[in-house]
Amino acid sequence: MDSPQNISMEEAFALAEAEAKLSAALLESKERFSKATMPDRLNEDWRFGRPHVYARELAARITAAGQPRQAAPLEQDDDLRQTEMLMPTIGSDALLALHLEHFGTGEAHYIEENTTTPLHVSYTAATALTPSTFIMVAPGIRAEVEITYTCADSSCIFATCNIQVAEGAELRVRVHAEGHGTDARCMLITNIQNMGGKVAHLTSYKSLRWAREETVAETYTPDSETRLFSANHLIGEAVLDQHTKQIHHSGGATSDLLYKNVLADNATATFAGNIYVAPGAHHTDAYQSNRNLMLSEDATVNSLPGLEILADKVRCSHGSASGPMDEEQLFYLLSRGIPHYEAHQLIASGFLDEAIEKFNN
Amino acid sequence: MSLVIKNLHARVKDGAPILNGINLEIPRGEVHAIMGPNGSGKSTLSKVLCGHPDYEVTAGSAELDGQDLFAMSVDERSRAGLFLAFQYPVEVPGVTNANFMRAALQARLPKGEELDAVSFYKELRSKMKQLGMDPKFTARAVNEGFSGGEKKRNDILQMMMLNPSYAILDETDSGLDVDALRIVSDGVNAMRAPFRSFLVITHYKRLLDYIHPDVVHVLYQGQIVRTAGFELVDHIEQHGFDFLKTSEE
Ligand SMILES: Nc1ncnc2c1ncn2[C@@H]1O[C@H](COP(=O)(O)OP(=O)(O)OP(=O)(O)O)[C@@H](O)[C@H]1O
Ligand SMILES: [Mg+2]
Repeated sequence: MDSPQNISMEEAFALAEAEAKLSAALLESKERFSKATMPDRLNEDWRFGRPHVYARELAARITAAGQPRQAAPLEQDDDLRQTEMLMPTIGSDALLALHLEHFGTGEAHYIEENTTTPLHVSYTAATALTPSTFIMVAPGIRAEVEITYTCADSSCIFATCNIQVAEGAELRVRVHAEGHGTDARCMLITNIQNMGGKVAHLTSYKSLRWAREETVAETYTPDSETRLFSANHLIGEAVLDQHTKQIHHSGGATSDLLYKNVLADNATATFAGNIYVAPGAHHTDAYQSNRNLMLSEDATVNSLPGLEILADKVRCSHGSASGPMDEEQLFYLLSRGIPHYEAHQLIASGFLDEAIEKFNN
Repeated sequence: MSLVIKNLHARVKDGAPILNGINLEIPRGEVHAIMGPNGSGKSTLSKVLCGHPDYEVTAGSAELDGQDLFAMSVDERSRAGLFLAFQYPVEVPGVTNANFMRAALQARLPKGEELDAVSFYKELRSKMKQLGMDPKFTARAVNEGFSGGEKKRNDILQMMMLNPSYAILDETDSGLDVDALRIVSDGVNAMRAPFRSFLVITHYKRLLDYIHPDVVHVLYQGQIVRTAGFELVDHIEQHGFDFLKTSEE
């Protein structure tokens, strides 16, 4: 970091203090990584099905692919690494340590001007890729970002993304991960730090054998508004494992989550969400909803919404609902001559559209 | 060319019988009305004809221009020319009115042929205007959050777009304001043609005064118990359905 010239005594103190905090945190994170163990089935964050097996396979693929160090300009490297070291995970400290070790490519964007068209960030994996993205939006700025991950067959992407939004800023992030062939895999760890801005974050996963998402959204100041969405149409043997945390450090902020899936064939979706309202974070509004439309009796959903509220005057709600297609809706479409397959498609995409619409609004 | 229903018996799946031997013939070009007390089976009859999964046909037959209706799937019946404006149109969240109508019209085209989007929207807009519907309704999810009367108009809009040969209107007039009633009736009257027939289910003379059916039936306890001309409407309007009970005794 450049050390600024001509600063006041207080500013110098504040700077020194911030740097001391940072190095303490970094030290702490080193210790944390040294203690971290690989996911196993006893770990609460790796329950249901066999996600820990996928996690170990992911680690093996990354190690086997070696270190494709490339792309990221040097001066960005440090920022990416630093934010990554401080990143919270939901049961994946050991994997994050692996990511840091193999960290090969990434982009850091400091957005200081309003963007008229979305900023595109895209990563493509041929074998294994471990990218890292850092997005910071300056006060009062409006921006839109699209992050795309593309995996070739039998390849994997293990990505981290740090997002920081300053006061009065507005950011919309659309994340799409897509696989080719039958065995593409993807894991995304995201940390959103909202300092009084508005953030909307949408994830979608397509044609992936396995996808895991860990999204931690933290609000640090009142009036922060963070909205998290996900919309997925899972088919075949797809396994989607989503873990989220909405952390309210300060009161007077809002977070909202809507994760929706359509499941066909033998697809599996796990959702474990947690809302944490810290002591003293009064007047928090936090909502969380996971909805699944089951098109097949062989599809599986595990849904665990959770709340931990340590403050007063908090408005919180969480809920999950999974069910088959509404017979009356289907009949209505059929009765207008729309064939069975098209009627299913219309209702299924209509179901997901709620999340996409709310993200776009 | 007609819709012919013979000795139709139907019940709620694994439940009580509701239709107990309906006989009805509606030739193309005619407008028939069905009246009858609450719970007599009017909506059930119309839904059974469309193939609603709640019901099963236990006896009898229905033919649409000579085709066995009950051998067809729900969507096939619609494409064969049958249409039902529901007593309670369903809300379909997430599916816009425009996409819904497009899919229904696309399904009527030969394989490989694409619906012309420009003329589709033009037609949709003009029909909506005719029904006094705000053009914004094209982008709204089907019936979601619509008022009672707006839902009914939306069903009539679908009828106008799909041009069925046999249209059943199940209490379309309930919930419509005076102006909407006139607009909808005008719409129906404008669609009257020698190749099309209507079966209008209603409780009120108001609608029938506009539409003026050729034949009026009374459905009671799952059977057609009276068939007459328009004078039957006046009789029911003045005396109610008491005559059914006295004739039973
Ligand atoms: N799906 C169902 N499950 C259980 N009972 C049903 C079902 N559908 C209809 N019924 C019963 O069958 C009878 C006839 O109902 P239907 O809706 O056909 O009456 P209706 O003549 O249309 O009445 P209204 O004038 O009130 O609209 C009623 O007693 C009703 O409760
Ligand atoms: Mg009825």
